[in-house]
Amino acid sequence: MIFVARPKESNYPLMNNRPRAGALLLLPGLLLIVFGFAVPSAVMLFSPPGVTPSDVFVRLGEMLSDPYDLGIIGRTLGLGLVVTALCIVLAFPIACLLARSTSRWAGIWLALAVFPLLLSNVVRTFGWLVILGSNGFAGRLITGLGFADEAPQLLYTPLAVVLGLVQLFLPLAVVACYSAVAQVDAGLDDAARGLGASRLRTLWSVVVPLSLPGVVVAATLVFAGSITAYTTPYLLGGSSQRMLATQLFSYSSVTVNWAAASATALVMTVLVFLVSGLSSAVARAKGRVQ
Amino acid sequence: MTAASPTAAPSTASTTAAAAEFIDIRQTFGDFTAVDGLNLTVEQGKITTLLGPSGCGKTTTLRMLAGYTTPTSGTIRIAGEDATRLPPEKRNLGMVFQSYALFPHMTVADNVGFGLKLRRVPVEERRKRVADTLDLVGLGHLAGQRPKKLSGGQQQRVALARAIAIRPSLLLLDEPLSNLDARLRVQMRAEIRRIQAETGLTVVLVTHDQDEALEMSDAMVLMRAGRVMQSGSPAEVFPRPANRFVAEFLGYENFVERDGRLLTVRPEHLEISTGPATEGARLALPATVTRVAYRGVDRHIALTTQGTGDEPVPLIAALRADETGPDPRPGDQVTVVARPDRVVELAG
Amino acid sequence: MKARPIAAALAVLGYVVMLVPILFVVGGAFTAGSTLKFPPEGFSVRWFGEAVANESFSQALTSSLLLAVVSTALALAVGVPVALALHRGHIPGRSLLEGLFLSPLVIPELVIGLALYQQLMIGLKQTSFLALLVGHTVLLMPYAVRVTGASLALADQSLEEAARGLGSSPWHAFRTVTLPLLRPGVMSAGLLGFITSFNNVPLSLLLQSRDFGTLPVTMLDYIQQSYDPVIAAMSTLILAGTVVIAVIAERTVGFTKIFGGIN
Repeated sequence: MIFVARPKESNYPLMNNRPRAGALLLLPGLLLIVFGFAVPSAVMLFSPPGVTPSDVFVRLGEMLSDPYDLGIIGRTLGLGLVVTALCIVLAFPIACLLARSTSRWAGIWLALAVFPLLLSNVVRTFGWLVILGSNGFAGRLITGLGFADEAPQLLYTPLAVVLGLVQLFLPLAVVACYSAVAQVDAGLDDAARGLGASRLRTLWSVVVPLSLPGVVVAATLVFAGSITAYTTPYLLGGSSQRMLATQLFSYSSVTVNWAAASATALVMTVLVFLVSGLSSAVARAKGRVQ
Repeated sequence: MTAASPTAAPSTASTTAAAAEFIDIRQTFGDFTAVDGLNLTVEQGKITTLLGPSGCGKTTTLRMLAGYTTPTSGTIRIAGEDATRLPPEKRNLGMVFQSYALFPHMTVADNVGFGLKLRRVPVEERRKRVADTLDLVGLGHLAGQRPKKLSGGQQQRVALARAIAIRPSLLLLDEPLSNLDARLRVQMRAEIRRIQAETGLTVVLVTHDQDEALEMSDAMVLMRAGRVMQSGSPAEVFPRPANRFVAEFLGYENFVERDGRLLTVRPEHLEISTGPATEGARLALPATVTRVAYRGVDRHIALTTQGTGDEPVPLIAALRADETGPDPRPGDQVTVVARPDRVVELAG
Repeated sequence: MKARPIAAALAVLGYVVMLVPILFVVGGAFTAGSTLKFPPEGFSVRWFGEAVANESFSQALTSSLLLAVVSTALALAVGVPVALALHRGHIPGRSLLEGLFLSPLVIPELVIGLALYQQLMIGLKQTSFLALLVGHTVLLMPYAVRVTGASLALADQSLEEAARGLGSSPWHAFRTVTLPLLRPGVMSAGLLGFITSFNNVPLSLLLQSRDFGTLPVTMLDYIQQSYDPVIAAMSTLILAGTVVIAVIAERTVGFTKIFGGIN
């Protein structure tokens, strides 16, 4: 976030020495955020219709001791970690190659990595149905090449969910890693090379430590996105790979169990807060060191 | 003093050993030719300066020598070995970047020790060499600091120490002083000369500042549009610029055509006479004073004279401010004269 | 160990994962057969005809476009004044307020959707459209605040002061200096908001009704029931529309700048 130093006296016309005018500009936004977001969310999380807060916490307690619910939380976190790791492993090299390229094609490749961010998740995930579905491309490839007599079940497996989520969040990871690597002065690479460091050593000793805060941000975005994503686990995981988001939808819309829905929503919200808190702490600590 | 001269063939190089040689080097980036047919010998134990305006190819030349770009054609030799396609990490050259390029996440000592660590120098020896090098540049007390905390001049010294610590076969300086303020810049010129003398390093310096080049070089190479315009020691080049470009770059301002020859004189060598031409003057031109500017140590007299064509030719004469003698005013008709040994004839 | 070939191999793998599934969708849309297969069986555009003729899709498309346009406009109308107040006004507790306005970005969308479903649709018996409009506006407002705020933060306030110094009235300085400075930010936030709303699933999921459904959720329901090339054709049409948005973005502020935050 950028903070600019401002003079004590504002010259801004609509609020020339009138803090009240500033408050007036904020008012519609405040009303919307309080009554359209903060209050409904708080009520839903702690006291949904016909449910007392203690019911929510009793359900939460059950959830944290029930093997089925714990399995869902564990699967959500586990798949989230795998997706995050894969996204960083694939995004960081792309970011390095693009940020350090002098080719005129680099801009086009960057645009190709950004473009999926604009495209509907439904459209993007649907491609995996064509590939992994029964009688899909992957199954026929496996049988056609003689690896197996019968196409294995690919859809509704953890692999399918991981592939879908990696596809979904890799563009985000590329963009975040690209910004992180691009802000590392390329002159530092030259300096390290000149002092005798190989490309790999330069990457390890210079580019990685200096872009780490940005990479941590990228990892946080991917992880938080993965553990709350709905479309991809729904289409590719189905009911056999339940994750927190699909479970929350089921409690809200299929079984209509408000207490369980609120407890699940609480778990998701707390996890996201924990992750983003953790990453900003890491980024701050790194920032201090530098 | 022997000049780093452009040589057609390296075998004709002078008696001192060549630390580096460029042979028929061409470097193009797309349609742009950055360096065009460069032949150059960098001599052992001397400071060779590449001098020229921005875009003249001097930085590209240095980057080719360091291995950051590969020439389109031609050969680069370092200490007699073909190094044209050698990656930078295999060249053992020390480079000081214009932006210093200090590693912000390492201390000053770790910056200086980085190259030694890569060379697997044992910890104890590394510590000693880092300390010695920091002492050489006068920064022993800042070893534990981060570069961001240092002033521009101190960062510059760290960059220098880092480049020297690896005992490079050549020290390459890319506009090393351009980010310093004027006073510090002049101090650092002497400092770099001192360090060069103490270490005996061969130095290649890139600069656009002719004063810096004149003061620091053993040999200077003037470049323009990817080609060498003139090279030699400052004492050879300065009084005898080979062409108009070199003359203008070195501060010659008066260009007059006489009998199909192009002559030039520095402003401080033009004299103004109200009488007839002095005996023995090679140049004696009738001129009109257009402007007089007082500048402290001298006065600049702007004049025009009639050239060979229709256009009047502008002249500048610098008269010492305390000099008694003619006191020209705008509009005065005067005669501008120069001693024969002050007039330089240019090739083109 | 060589760094470059490894990096290049990982990068190729990354691009394959990002882009190849999209190619399968496009390939599947042009099949002449009646099942979704890649490589497609023959070439035909009949599934595009079916997609266009499908009434629930065309209704959902209209709903989605309406919702995206109105919620983006509302988010800008509410968010730009907030950005102005935060960056040019003297608001005590500025960073705290900014955090509050950006907080919808942190809460999972499904959670916001459930909250609005309970409070607005069940509690206050409001329509699906109103609930969706509130939800989407809440979701898009942080973009409006952050993106226009960033362009205000970058624009030197001394420009406005210079205009005042040259004799502009405060209102004139605002109109001739501040507003043009805001324009790229507003344009970016608008495109970003439109795309975000149009593609949204988790927030819209619980707020749908039979009368008003968005296109992505309608497609999701369709996929769950039948699995034929109509969805591939519809997806390809959405892809084409997205390319148009990308081109508009590139022509105005810059595509990677808006959607990647890359300058």
